[in-house]
Amino acid sequence: MSKTGLIIEREFAERVRKKSFIISTLLTPLFMIAMMVLPGILMMKGGSSTKSVVVIDNSPLQFVGTRLTSGKTVEFKLLGPDATLNDARMAYKSDYGILVIGSDILDNPQNLQLVLNEASSMSVEENIQSQIQSILRTERLKRYDLENMDQILADANVRVSGIQTLKNNDQEDSENMEETSTTTSWLMGLILGMLLYFILIVYGQQVLQSVIDEKQTRVLDVMVTSCTPFELMMGKILGIALVAALQIVIWAVLVIGASAFVMPLIAGADGMEAMTAAAQAASSTSEFSGLMLRFSDVSYLASLFLELLLYIVGGFLFYASMYAAIGSSVDTPQDAAQFNGIIMMPVIVAIMVMMSVMNDPNSDLVFWCSIIPFTSPIVMMARIPFGIPTWEIVVSLILLYISFILMTWVAARIFRVGVFMHGKKPTWKDLGSWIKMK
Amino acid sequence: MDSILRIENVSKTYTGHKALDDVSMEIPRGSIYGLLGPNGAGKTTLIRVVNHMTLPDCGKVWFQDHEITADDIYQIGYMPEERGLYKKMKVGEQAVFFARMRGMSKFNATRKLHQWFDRLGLSEWWDKKVEDLSKGMAQKVQFITTVVHEPKLLIFDEPFSGFDPINANLLKEEILGLRDRGATVIFSTHNMESVEEICDDITLINKSHNILSGPVDEIRRKAGGNTFQVIFSGDKEKFVSSVEGKATLIGESEGLIGGYTQQKIHIAQDSDIRPVIGALNDNVNLRSFQEIIPSMNDIFIRAVNGTL
Repeated sequence: MSKTGLIIEREFAERVRKKSFIISTLLTPLFMIAMMVLPGILMMKGGSSTKSVVVIDNSPLQFVGTRLTSGKTVEFKLLGPDATLNDARMAYKSDYGILVIGSDILDNPQNLQLVLNEASSMSVEENIQSQIQSILRTERLKRYDLENMDQILADANVRVSGIQTLKNNDQEDSENMEETSTTTSWLMGLILGMLLYFILIVYGQQVLQSVIDEKQTRVLDVMVTSCTPFELMMGKILGIALVAALQIVIWAVLVIGASAFVMPLIAGADGMEAMTAAAQAASSTSEFSGLMLRFSDVSYLASLFLELLLYIVGGFLFYASMYAAIGSSVDTPQDAAQFNGIIMMPVIVAIMVMMSVMNDPNSDLVFWCSIIPFTSPIVMMARIPFGIPTWEIVVSLILLYISFILMTWVAARIFRVGVFMHGKKPTWKDLGSWIKMK
Repeated sequence: MDSILRIENVSKTYTGHKALDDVSMEIPRGSIYGLLGPNGAGKTTLIRVVNHMTLPDCGKVWFQDHEITADDIYQIGYMPEERGLYKKMKVGEQAVFFARMRGMSKFNATRKLHQWFDRLGLSEWWDKKVEDLSKGMAQKVQFITTVVHEPKLLIFDEPFSGFDPINANLLKEEILGLRDRGATVIFSTHNMESVEEICDDITLINKSHNILSGPVDEIRRKAGGNTFQVIFSGDKEKFVSSVEGKATLIGESEGLIGGYTQQKIHIAQDSDIRPVIGALNDNVNLRSFQEIIPSMNDIFIRAVNGTL
């Protein structure tokens, strides 16, 4: 077996056998399941989050108050026409608040007051505003006294809730155009980008720690006379990458297994019903159903999965090699902190750019960020679902993997020199000269 | 001389200070070679230059008949002064790992390592974690991982530090055994007792210079400078008159238990000692006549202070 292979094997075995690995492998999916189940349970309990608002309506015939409809966010309690604010303030202390509607509300829509017993809630205010706005609009239209007023109103009440977007291709038959959805694509990219970010933080740190450990335990003297620093760095990075891969595969299996078999048992039949209802409510938005629809296309999914896998692996390896370079140049994790922020900078930039992918997946900024290795794994992941030319993916992947090899080489250079510089914090200038050093 | 390693005019400067200045030496095959010197003299730097861990500013290192390459390094057994083992790993597993890093097969490494563990009384620790070992035991494990792949050249940096006398002796025996089986051993130390006992040749480095090189016997004899210790009984005056012109007295005479007297004398480098012994034998009752060979410790201190 090659020396790199031996080092990979050692790093892998040492980590996988640790108690902390077993614990985090088992606990993380529990946490993830809890995150999935909790909202469902909260929804089942429901109610508690509904705010009750007492309404004092001074408008003619209480035309506003009578038409306010209670819902999940707000529950309205309309008081009689002679109720006063002062009485209500004393009587309804336990309610969320008191809404006072002015008598001239139709002509003076600003004449609205909400007296609160609790902290203000944006969603309640928005709910009240939009309801009153629509009531006033209808009432004002009615003043023109047109024929078929009710029908006109009903007809005008239209809502656009989604747009079907299609990918233009070379085929003549427009039936074959692939459906794309900006929101769906973006959402998918976002989730995957976050996944990569998470992997970088958790396992990138492990690479850093592993290189520092090598120096602190003083094994390095023996190691550098047994193999080249490049073999050592490569072995460490790949070994930890394998641990990450194993852990993620276990998580995936556990989460899928748990959601298929265990969750119905835990939640019971009632819970399942509530959750199904919740899922249906969510999927009524076209984005979600679009996402589901796209995931059901197996070949699309396979190619997408392959590309994303290449980016996650490449992105991890590239960033891990940067962590290795940092680990090589410092003696303690404390010293590493000053460099750590510098690594996270491009990741944060990448996530910000990724957010802007939705506006224009082909803008110059987004294009270059998806080619440059520092940001490409995250930004390109958000772009891929929009359907982009293959050459861009190929170029950016090649650059990413070349950068990984180069960065590992740099890390090895720094390691070799840094090893014998114990006790001295390197400056950027030092690092530069170490890389150039023969 | 059949040498396994030849160091030629090696210099190395770190920022601000010169660690090695034009150091040359030749290590005979099959010998135990001591690399001596006070702390900070440049011993470890020299070892690192040999091991390719640090490249010299100028000068060359030859291994057998060619300039040393990375592949040669992997065939050297090196035990650094600051010992290090992976703490969380099991002892046996770790030993096998290092042996395989040095090119042994898994099967072969396991077999050989078990033999070594038995020899040094570590067998029951095979499956324990390194962090559970005592310092001495960890040192033994380190020693085993250094020698198990049977390298032609072994380099030990301060091998006896951290060992109790029993284990230090055990280690000494093992090092001698390795030499007898054909290995060349270089070790750096400032433990002079061990140098006298096991080194064939030495180099003394001080302030980045090689100030003394050669076989241990020769160096000690030379440093002694024809000084002898004479023990006798009889008239002191007669003693003085009988050596007059042939030797000079060093220091005062000392009385010993049983009526004996002890006196150091110096005889000129090229002259014969037989006339001196003859004259003394005629005039006093000669009990003992012995060359004073200074200890390596004395030589070390005198060499470093420039009074050798």
